[in-house]
Parts: sequence; structure tokens; C-alpha cells
Amino acid sequence: MTNPLESKSSFIRNSKKPALDTEERDLLARPRFSLRLHMLLVFILFSFLSMAIIIGSVIAINRIQKKLNFVQSSERYLFDIAQARRWEKNYFLYDTNLEDAVQSAGNAKSLLSQSLEKVITVLSAEETATVLKHLDQYIGLLQELTMLEKNNIKNADKKSEIETSLRQHGAEMVKVAAALVTKEQNSINAMLHLIQRIPIYCLAFALLLTFFASRFLSHRLIKPLNLLIESTQRIAKGDFSPVPPLCKYRGEFSAVEMAINQMCNELKSREVAMVESHKLRAIGTLTAGVAHELNNPLNNIMLTAHAMLEDHNDLSEDELLEMINDLINEADRSRSIVRNLLDFARESESVSEPLDLEALVSETIKLTLNQAKVSGAKIETQIQPDLPRIRGDKQQLKQVFLNLILNALDAVEKNGIVKINVKKADSPGFLAVQVEDNGCGIPAHILPNIFDPFFTTKGPGKGTGLGLSVSHGIITMHGGQISIETEKGKYTKFTVTLPFRTVPAVFNKT
Amino acid sequence: MKEKLDILLLDDEAIVGNRLKPVLEKVGCDVELFEDPKKALNRIREKKFDIVITDIMMPDVNGIQILEEAREKSDITKVIIITGYATVAMAREAMDKGAFDMIAKPFTPDDLRSVIAKAADSLGYKKL
Repeated sequence: MTNPLESKSSFIRNSKKPALDTEERDLLARPRFSLRLHMLLVFILFSFLSMAIIIGSVIAINRIQKKLNFVQSSERYLFDIAQARRWEKNYFLYDTNLEDAVQSAGNAKSLLSQSLEKVITVLSAEETATVLKHLDQYIGLLQELTMLEKNNIKNADKKSEIETSLRQHGAEMVKVAAALVTKEQNSINAMLHLIQRIPIYCLAFALLLTFFASRFLSHRLIKPLNLLIESTQRIAKGDFSPVPPLCKYRGEFSAVEMAINQMCNELKSREVAMVESHKLRAIGTLTAGVAHELNNPLNNIMLTAHAMLEDHNDLSEDELLEMINDLINEADRSRSIVRNLLDFARESESVSEPLDLEALVSETIKLTLNQAKVSGAKIETQIQPDLPRIRGDKQQLKQVFLNLILNALDAVEKNGIVKINVKKADSPGFLAVQVEDNGCGIPAHILPNIFDPFFTTKGPGKGTGLGLSVSHGIITMHGGQISIETEKGKYTKFTVTLPFRTVPAVFNKT
Repeated sequence: MKEKLDILLLDDEAIVGNRLKPVLEKVGCDVELFEDPKKALNRIREKKFDIVITDIMMPDVNGIQILEEAREKSDITKVIIITGYATVAMAREAMDKGAFDMIAKPFTPDDLRSVIAKAADSLGYKKL
């Protein structure tokens, strides 16, 4: 025969396996977005920002340099034009410097044609054309004067006509050149202004980016961590339901989540095994009592049967009938004793069903009556009528109450009293079952340990140290609480509270 | 010496008494039947019985108390203990306190008869 405990736990592990797989698959189905990627993304964003700032500044400085160069050539052009005009004035006043004027105008022209493209971008194409036209005409007029001078033609009218045109074109040229310089200078000023502002904008943008990046990262880091802390605290209290999704994406946290869920499943199966092994132990304790209980009806049957065998000839009809009825009743009594034990001992899947706490406690007390007889204690029961039903696992709850009552019977001396009280709890929505004994009490220094697994004060081979630990686990799973009140040498009172409206914790997320 | 043995039979299970009374009467005993250990205790204080047959696990009064009372009243009284839960410790305690014999449930009328015969023998009755 296989060990029933082993086969049960392996069965449970097998049945839980697909659930784990679906959870895992669920996790693996999430889009992959690891923390490393998060960090990398933020880092790349900052790198791009700084690169953009550097490239932008290089380009801007380059452009300013070009503009400065252009302003320089424009000023030279302006200087040349002004020089030509000065020579032209000298010529008309003193008849000198005409060739210098032609040369200066020619210099101006070559300068202009050198940076013609740039000029077109600063001024419009039409304006540039006008400037060129004025310059060409100016040069043309100067050449005309030179020709007149060479041929020694003295024509005052012609000269004064040329002078007027020259002045007009000259003035025009100076005006445009000056405008060019001013315009370019303004544009440089504007650009410098902009460059001065850029670091401020960048700083503001960087601050904003830092703020959002840190918020983003903390959201991705702190939130799952907090959830994790909450979950581990919950698990420590004995609720082994899987942790809620820590984040939407697959990454380091989902790996942690998967590991914790696996741990929870392991813990759950261990807990089931522990509950089961404790139950076997409790059955062992009960068996002695049950054997005694069974011996009474068996004895009655035996004595009656022998009486019938010996005296069947002398017995009246009525006496015979009475004996047969006794036989039937005693056989029935045996059956119910065995059934009650089997009902508790039977292996079954954990099921949550509506339960009548009164019936449950009464059945449990029946199981322990013989134990009470053996220890010479009296069990007093007080059950408030018309209590609402609770939801839970019948066998597991029976195990808890059985354990508390057996503990109480262990604690009392001969003629001790174990009081069992079923009533509505002080907190609304809860029922309370109290098991009180007038036994030795629990010393204060071991009180913090009594719910720890394998903690026992009984001698070796007498207690597993699992009773209260398992009971605590079962009651927590049912969304209830187990508390203790004790005074050394006087009494110990265990109070189990169970919710009667809500579903058990196994099916509840919290 | 009397003709008949005075026997007090105490068991909180009514059937035990009902079945055993005729069995014992058949072998020439006077049987007083009790289900309530307290009443039996009072009766023991009143009267010296030759043999007291008592169950050990009973509510309120223990079989050992019956044994003690009976032995105190008369040390020739033979006390036979019936028990459904026989442990070595209990047997030792009963024997230390002067029980004549122990019978474990379930037993047959013959088992009891043979113990009664032994007790009668030690009391000096040869008839049984």
C-alpha cells in the first residue's frame, strides 16, 4: 500500500501544475521590457539631448563666424565705395585722383562679385541686381570721364551731367552697402541673442526630462517593489495565493514574480502535507478513544447474543424482541461511531461549502467524548441558537476544533472542565468558537511561539508541534483569526473567529 | 455463612446489567443492579457486599472511587473491574488499590462467571 499522505500531496501537486503553467504562460506573454532597457532608454535620451546641444552650438558658432567674415567683406566693400567717392570728389574739385577712383570702384566690384551669392541671400535678388547696376554704371561713368580726360576734351556740360549721375549712383551704392552691413550686423546680434538663450532653454528641458525620467523609473521600480513587500508580508501570514502582476512588461520583476508564485505553490503543497500529517496524528490520538467507545456496544451485543444463546428456550416473546432490538440499536451505535471517525479521517479535496457551525462543533465534540472520559474531564457546551452559516472546508475546520479540544483535555487535571462556546463574535460579520479549559495555562515566555510549526511542550512522541500551527493556517485561509487568552495555573481560552458572509481567503484576492 | 453471594453490579450501560443479572442469579447470587454510580456509592456505604462488579469509565464517579469505597467498607469485598479501555497503568492502579480482577470489554457471560467463581472460591464458597 502506498503512503496515503504521499499520494495525496503528489496528487495535489499534479493538479496544481497546470495552474502554474497558465500563470507562467501569462507572464511570458507579456511584452518584454526589462529594467536594463528602461535605463538604457533614459541614458540614450540624455545622450541625444547633449549631442543635439553640442551640434547645435557648433553650427550656430560656425554660422556666426561666416556672418562676421561677410560683414568684414561688406565693410571693405563699403570702404572701397567710400574711397572711390572721395577720389571722385577730389577729381571734381582739384582734377586729380580719377585713376584711383576707377581702381577703388574696380576693387569694390571684384569684392562684390566674390561674395555675390551671399549678398543675394542677405539682400533680395532684385536689390542685388540694382546694386550691380549702380556699380556698373558708376564704373562706366568713371571710365567715360577717363576717356574724356585722355582725349583732352573739355566739355563742361558733359562733365557736369556725368557728375550728377555719378553722385546719384554713388549715393545709392553707399546707401545699399551701409544697409547691407547694418542688416548683417542685426542678424548677428539676433543670432548671438539666440545662442545666449539656448543654454537656458536646454537647462529647462533637461530639468523637465530628468523629472519625467526619474518619475518613470521610480514608477517602474518603486511600485513593483512596494507590491512585492506587500505580497511577501501577506505570504508570511499564510495566504499563499499568487502575487498580483507587478508590472505590465516582462523583465526582471516578472522573473521575481514567477519565482515567488512558484514558492507559493510549493508552500501551499507543503501546507497541505502538513495539515494532512497532523490529521493522521489526530486520528491516532482519537483511535484509542474510539476503540473504547466501540467496545461498549460490542460488549452489549456480545452479552445479549450470549444471553439469547443460553436462554432462548426460557425467554418470552417480549424479552426476545427486546433483546433483538438491543442488538440492532447497539450495532447501529457502533456504525455511527465508526462513521464519525471515518468522516473526519477520509481524504478528500479541499472544498468550500456552506456549513452549520453548531452541527460541526457538535460532531467534533462527539469525537472527543471518549478522550474526555479517559482524562476524566467534563465537556460543557453552550451554543447560541440560529447562527448564520459560514463557508469553509468541513474537515479542516473539524480538525481545528478537534485540535483545540484535545489540547484542552490534555491541559486539564482529573475533574477538569472544558467549556465550548459557539456564539456571534464581537466584531460584526464573524462567528466565534471559544474553547476554554481550567487547566495549567500557558507560561508567558512561550506564548509568542505557540503557533510556530514543530513547537511543542509535550514530551517526545506525544506531540508533533503541528496542531496550533496547522490550525492557524486553516483559520487564516478561511479569513478568520485565532487568539488566545491565558493565566498560568488558572485557565486557557482559545477563540476562533470565522466570517459568515464573505468567501474564504483562498478565493479572495486579499 | 450465607447461602447466596451478595453482588453489586454497576455499569452505566443499562444492557450490561440487564443481561448479567439473570446470568448471575442463575448461579445463585443476589444481584443489586445500578446504573448511576452515585447511588451505587451510597449503597456500598450502607451495605457490605461480597462482590462488587463495576465499570471504570463513568460520568461523575470513577470506577476506582467505587473500588476504594468498597475496600474501605470491608476488606473482604472482592471488587471486579470491567473496562472498555484497558491500559497497563489503569490495571496497575486498580490492582494496587486491591481490585480482585479485571475484565476487558467485550467479554462473554462465561468470562464473568469464571472470575466470580474464583472470587467465591477465595471467599470460601465452594458451591459455584
